[in-house]
Amino acid sequence: MTEKLSQEVRKLPPCRAACPAHVNVQAYVALIQKGKFKEAVEVIRKDLPFPAICGRVCFSPCEDACARVNLDQAVAVRSLKRLVADIEHEQGRVIAKPVPKKYSEKVAIIGAGPAGLAAAYELSKLGYPVTVFERMAEPGGMMRYCIPDFRLEKFVVANEIAYIKDLGVEIKTGVEFGKDITLESLKKDGYKAVFLAIGTQLGMKLNVPGEDLDGVINAVDFLRAIALGEKIAVGERVAVIGGGNTAIDAARMAKKLGAREVMILYRRSRGEMPALPHEVELAEKDGIKFYFLVAPKQIIGENGRVKAVECLRMRLGEPDENGRRRPIPIAFSEHQYEVDTVIPALGQMVETSVLPPELLSKEKRGPSLQVDPLTLETNIPGVFAGGDVATGPASIIEAVGAGRRAAVSIHRYLRGWDLRKDRDGERIEETTWVKDWRLLEKKERRYDAPIEKPHLSFEEAREYLERLKRQARFEAFRCLGCGPCAECLASMELCEGDKAVVDEGKCVGCNICAVVCPVEAIKKNEKGVAHVNEDLCKGCGLCAARCPERAISMKKLSDEQVLTMVLTALKR
Amino acid sequence: MEPSKPPKIVCFMCNWAFCEEEISVPYNVNIIRVMCVGRMDPALVIDTFINGADGVLLVGCRPPDCHFVNGNLHAERAVKMLKKLLALTGLEPERLKLMLISPLKNKGFSHYAKEFSVEIWKLRNPTLGREGLLANLKAAKEAASAFRLRVLLGREKELTEFMNAYGEKIPEEQFDALLDDIVRAEFIRYKIHYLTKIKPRSVKELAEILGIKPSAVLRHITNMRRKGMMALDHVEGYTPLYKALEVQ
Repeated sequence: MTEKLSQEVRKLPPCRAACPAHVNVQAYVALIQKGKFKEAVEVIRKDLPFPAICGRVCFSPCEDACARVNLDQAVAVRSLKRLVADIEHEQGRVIAKPVPKKYSEKVAIIGAGPAGLAAAYELSKLGYPVTVFERMAEPGGMMRYCIPDFRLEKFVVANEIAYIKDLGVEIKTGVEFGKDITLESLKKDGYKAVFLAIGTQLGMKLNVPGEDLDGVINAVDFLRAIALGEKIAVGERVAVIGGGNTAIDAARMAKKLGAREVMILYRRSRGEMPALPHEVELAEKDGIKFYFLVAPKQIIGENGRVKAVECLRMRLGEPDENGRRRPIPIAFSEHQYEVDTVIPALGQMVETSVLPPELLSKEKRGPSLQVDPLTLETNIPGVFAGGDVATGPASIIEAVGAGRRAAVSIHRYLRGWDLRKDRDGERIEETTWVKDWRLLEKKERRYDAPIEKPHLSFEEAREYLERLKRQARFEAFRCLGCGPCAECLASMELCEGDKAVVDEGKCVGCNICAVVCPVEAIKKNEKGVAHVNEDLCKGCGLCAARCPERAISMKKLSDEQVLTMVLTALKR
Repeated sequence: MEPSKPPKIVCFMCNWAFCEEEISVPYNVNIIRVMCVGRMDPALVIDTFINGADGVLLVGCRPPDCHFVNGNLHAERAVKMLKKLLALTGLEPERLKLMLISPLKNKGFSHYAKEFSVEIWKLRNPTLGREGLLANLKAAKEAASAFRLRVLLGREKELTEFMNAYGEKIPEEQFDALLDDIVRAEFIRYKIHYLTKIKPRSVKELAEILGIKPSAVLRHITNMRRKGMMALDHVEGYTPLYKALEVQ
């Protein structure tokens, strides 16, 4: 798994380098091209235990990094991932083979969210006995309790977690950290390493007067209550405060629960909204109103219930340390929105009360937990922490990335290896040859129907699927394959994994091969003869076709072999 | 190349240009998948003709879809050169066709394959006999494997878009004329080489067969002797006869 990646510096295609979990995007897209959907999911699972979940709700940094953007638009990676995962689900849940326990050291993971589960997944694949402790009744964390059903179906989460359980991970639910178990009790029970991934469970407060009125409910609590099946009465007119994905989710949920009018109040403008643009579009389609550059000043109540929210107009000032422009209130611009429910969705914070005090950071600002950003160690040996709890609220894929890093650290810690030597993270480099593309003229090509129809239920999507398979393959064909050929691993036998070989005796050092090579894989070495860098060679054979002395041949599909194929074809 | 049978067509297709399922072709078309259409060695294409193909179809991706940045454009250059070479052999250049197709927008491969088959069918009366044609094609294959032509082909982009070693940029037309000259010269040299390999021949005899001036033949022979491709065999009366040497 990550070991191989962490031991060598590899030039990765931009999509894989951009992904926090370094999922091998190019490989599975190549497999989709060939119609090998099942193998594609297997490739995703090597790095990511949640293909179906991420296929639905990932913010897809891979698509932002896609080199295809320079030509028309990015390859729809997330939709492709969702599709292959759905095709797999359609044929029934895949049952993983349990991994034999190679090591005896027990590992405890606190929190069955994406970070904890990803760490458990990687550690159990390595052969450790892993136990995950979860406070809630069901594992899944925010994926289960905070993302509403219309974005991420509960059974999808359950399926993916069941796959992790199949590997031999034990998940104990209803166990609260700080109450039922502590670091000491875990140590006493024989756990050699602990990974804290409790996430950020508390909704941030508005800090305005009137916050404890009846009818003010935090977005996280609101969504969690719905996921738990509690009856929540939303009023007629709902104001959601905030501009993140949780705000959008809460607003859409309120609308679906029957609110007549839902508005989102955000203190910056649309461009600064952290929510995914496509989610914002969907919210607009649902009829949710957006008010930008407004911030609540107070919540006005009547008989203990919310009556209105009083807001101030804002203007944007200088960018802050995150590069977002800071909102500045405009004096005397108070105005009121008449609402009966206020849902603050300003972000979440760590429930510091459950954490042992020695782990907490002394600094007031910044993350509340002291964690080494590379190895995820805390100041207690054997205790690691990662995911939202360490970095502040982020995304599923970032949590998975943290979980994977923690797994590598725990593995090294338990084996007594150096935790820092040759770690990935800062060593990920992008391939650079894509610069050539930028010379080409940018062309407009609209990718017709999107693969994903977010409104479809799973059953509807199934009918849609057959038609989509063909479309998916076309979409996958748009991939430029920025990485070297060996990037595809599983598809090796499909595309031959061909490499160029130089006959050094014949080479005259004309350097034509270096000129035609699209990836700078072949170059003159110090002896003055061409030398192939096999890590980069994609096996296109352009150099072999141009070599004036015919000194270059291809390993798998040589000219002689092509000729034999021609002869057999013509005899037919 | 019998008129009663449908033409035999060999198609070298880029691995990335079509989905496999979309390829259903008439039985006279044989598909050979390669990593990139630019991978096709010019000599290999001529070899395909030597082995009895009536038409060769090269299928690649339309710019800018090439997986290897500009493999398709390399193919375009090679095909331009090959067409010049084929014209010299007496085989119609139309028998070789390069198609650059968008993997996303196409009519399905069978459409293009049928179209090409019909085109070839219309051409089916080679002016030369089988023997003469084969000799010409073999010479062409040698020319296409020769250093001079391949260097020129490999350097075309460099020479026409950037500059040569003397800092000159060669205009495209000038390069084209140069390519024309070299293709012709190389073809004639290898034809001479082929002819003298069979038996020693005189300049006059060669000039008659090739249909060019004896002085031109002599110039080529001098050049080839310098390169160690030919040698004087013996002298009959006052006429020197030359024979081909095996090239190392």
